[in-house]
Amino acid sequence: MTVRDDLAAAGATLVEDGEGIRVTPSSVASLARAVAVVRAHRVALRLRGSGDAPVNAPPSGVLLDLGSLDRIATVNSATGIARVEAGCSVAALESAVRRAGCTLGPLLPSVRAGSVGAWLAGPTRGARGIAGARRETAALSLAAILPDGRIAEGRAAPAKAVGPDLAHLSLGGGGRLCVIAAAWIRLFPATPALASAWSCPDVAAAVSALELVCQRRLAPARARILVGADGARLALAWEGVESAAIERDRAARLLAATCSPLPEVPANWVRDPAEGHPIEVDARWASLRGWSPHGDLHLFGLHAGGSFAVFSLPEARAAEECAALARAAGARVIAPRRLRDTGPGWEAAGAGAAWQRLVEVLGVEA
Amino acid sequence: MGGVTGPLPSASARGKALRREIAALGVAASCDAPDLWAASRDCSAGALLWTKARVVPHPPDVVAWPEDVDQVAALLRLAAQREVPVVPMGAGTGSVGGSIPLRGGIVLDTQRLTRPLEIDLPGGSVQVGAGVSGNRLEELLAHAGATLGHFPASLPAATVGGWLATRSAGLLSSRHGAIADMVLSLEAVDGAGEILRTLEGPSGGPDLAQLLLGNEGTLAIFTSARLRIWRRPRERWVRGVRFPSLRDGLRAMRDVLRAGLRPAIARLHDPLDTLLSGADPLRVPQPLRWLAEGAQAEALRLSLRAPLLLNRLVDALPAASLLVLAFDGERADDAAHEGEVALAICDRVRGENLGPSAGERSLEALHRSSWAQAPLFAAGAFVETLDVATTWERAEALGLAVRRAAEGLAFVRAHFANAAPEGCAVELSLLGFAGAPAGEIAGASRDDAEADLEDAQQRREAALAAALSAVADEGATISHHSGVGASRHVFLRRELGEGIRQLRALKKAFDPRGILNPGKLLL
Repeated sequence: MTVRDDLAAAGATLVEDGEGIRVTPSSVASLARAVAVVRAHRVALRLRGSGDAPVNAPPSGVLLDLGSLDRIATVNSATGIARVEAGCSVAALESAVRRAGCTLGPLLPSVRAGSVGAWLAGPTRGARGIAGARRETAALSLAAILPDGRIAEGRAAPAKAVGPDLAHLSLGGGGRLCVIAAAWIRLFPATPALASAWSCPDVAAAVSALELVCQRRLAPARARILVGADGARLALAWEGVESAAIERDRAARLLAATCSPLPEVPANWVRDPAEGHPIEVDARWASLRGWSPHGDLHLFGLHAGGSFAVFSLPEARAAEECAALARAAGARVIAPRRLRDTGPGWEAAGAGAAWQRLVEVLGVEA
Repeated sequence: MGGVTGPLPSASARGKALRREIAALGVAASCDAPDLWAASRDCSAGALLWTKARVVPHPPDVVAWPEDVDQVAALLRLAAQREVPVVPMGAGTGSVGGSIPLRGGIVLDTQRLTRPLEIDLPGGSVQVGAGVSGNRLEELLAHAGATLGHFPASLPAATVGGWLATRSAGLLSSRHGAIADMVLSLEAVDGAGEILRTLEGPSGGPDLAQLLLGNEGTLAIFTSARLRIWRRPRERWVRGVRFPSLRDGLRAMRDVLRAGLRPAIARLHDPLDTLLSGADPLRVPQPLRWLAEGAQAEALRLSLRAPLLLNRLVDALPAASLLVLAFDGERADDAAHEGEVALAICDRVRGENLGPSAGERSLEALHRSSWAQAPLFAAGAFVETLDVATTWERAEALGLAVRRAAEGLAFVRAHFANAAPEGCAVELSLLGFAGAPAGEIAGASRDDAEADLEDAQQRREAALAAALSAVADEGATISHHSGVGASRHVFLRRELGEGIRQLRALKKAFDPRGILNPGKLLL
């Protein structure tokens, strides 16, 4: 029996797609059956949800198109959680939760443009900045399809101590170990952002000022550093029903000694997209400072140790050049996909042998 | 409960042979009876009953004290070759039996893994050995003007390694998060003897550190960690706020967290503790005061024979609930400003500000009660503590369901703590009758002592099973921050469902010989 025969026997709707097969499951159960077939045949697997960039099935492999798994089952604005299938686009989820007075918070442009599954399984692992200058995954719990088609789902609780956090076999895994089928997503209350801006001697000084703000637990929801003729401008925006004003005022007090407050923040200064051919990175503060001679920074998911950032070069220089400079500064490139850094992985941590055993035990491609 | 008066475990032939081989690696080891005894138990209710009955059902063969990561790796490679179980143990303060060597073997005592502390104040991190105790770490950080912000009840004795192994959370978790939120990188040794050092910066693929945290010694043994630290706050603002009902108090807690505020402490007491923390404790019916104070041993035991009556007495109390709120800050006005904003939120939910003393009294009582269990066991009671968790909309129902499930088997107390924007932990105490007092058992025959123990363990296990079953039925998690250990693992299958297969895959990947803490986490 071929993988095509077995998929057909499992009731999947499949079509030819380049050199492989595209399957569009209509339910989590049919997704689970398809995953089991694909894993049993040990052929290459790709995933695509609503909003994700078009991609063909891998040669002799299978593309699981999750576009039909886009249901938003629940939005509970009082508790701040939503149950959603992995194929739903992040934009559609944001629209739905906005109607309930909530938001997913500021996210990288590549995340906003893709599916929930790609967000969680992708290089950010679904992480966002939260109050207290920490990062936290947006997924309160996951329903994951195991290689044999069984569905593992954790309990939705604010924290758990029931062994290792098994969601991390799926988060950031790109679907290699488990396929995310659905998730409980944490939501923030939607509130207008409060922004302030400062001028700083240069971009490196602006990065250091921002680091100080984050290390005092006052991390903004998003930040922007713009290169100017006479230094740099730092704009920060806080969100949070009651915390935004408190944190903004304290940050202003903290920065008074090193930066000059600007009288107003021009409209959309913090929110305007980066120009040219930007790239997205995950970076620590030292890397952000290392980048600072080159161009503007647009920051999301700030925490005490660093931030996700959008880097852009003046005069619309190529993304490849931007990525090379980012890597030289020690940042990890996460978008665009063609430039994405895959490592460093478990090998660099001394866990290469454990990784090999894990993929063998699970019966998935290394 | 006094010293050890019963028979001590004796060295086995396997233990003596292992001791020689371990010593040849340059690692300190012992088969001496007191060492085997000390390594055979933790602070779980079941183990405390063993101590009262003077029995040692699970002694290890040998205890080893490695001093660095290389010694841990050498020891684990030896154990893997010999296929001997290895059970890591810190200070033995666990409450779920996670470090009890169910199948004997080597207890690897981590308390000498105390590499010099490296504090990086500008970078906001500390590199610390797994064997360093919580109190010692906070003392050293305080000297440098910093804090980790992790203050579990076990702080005076528990080790950093124990926190990592159980995904511990402390009193201040609403502000600082749990230990898993504080980890920047980890050093550990897996069951194959491989040294793992997770990356501190951005990395690709699944997060290795998050898959090792909470493994309870079944996948790898932690040797050190780099943790996030913060400037030590100078000021604390504390208030007690009384609500007409538990539901109002829970709503206020939720609204404070959902507003983006991060209190250092947000802890809601049930009606009994609300009364006990008030200015008029005489309003508390006498049998309940015996339980709360742990005094009057004979009266305590008598009342615990009728737990349903005690629980009904609590049901009849005024339904008011006390919320203790605390905010920390660099400056007094910073902490007070956040506190006043929180009070305004509480006011919208009918919260009555009782002032600082009500909150401070409650926190003092909390610190006292953390170490008040031994007298209760000595008096002939058991105390089983549970920390379960769920989302806000289910929290009240969860507390009620556990109370109803266990009310005929034990006296049930509940607090709502470790508040997060999406939910909170429900900390439960099950206080039950556990037979004769320790003094009487000390003079009893071995047969009588063992019969008393068997009866007590059955009562304890029945109460625990009833409570955990209710937790599972409510869709909540069976452990917020204490781990699973030997006492909750029966319910792990319901918690994880098919996730058990993922757990077993991790076991085969990190511990291919199956030597690490066998019998825990259903592995």
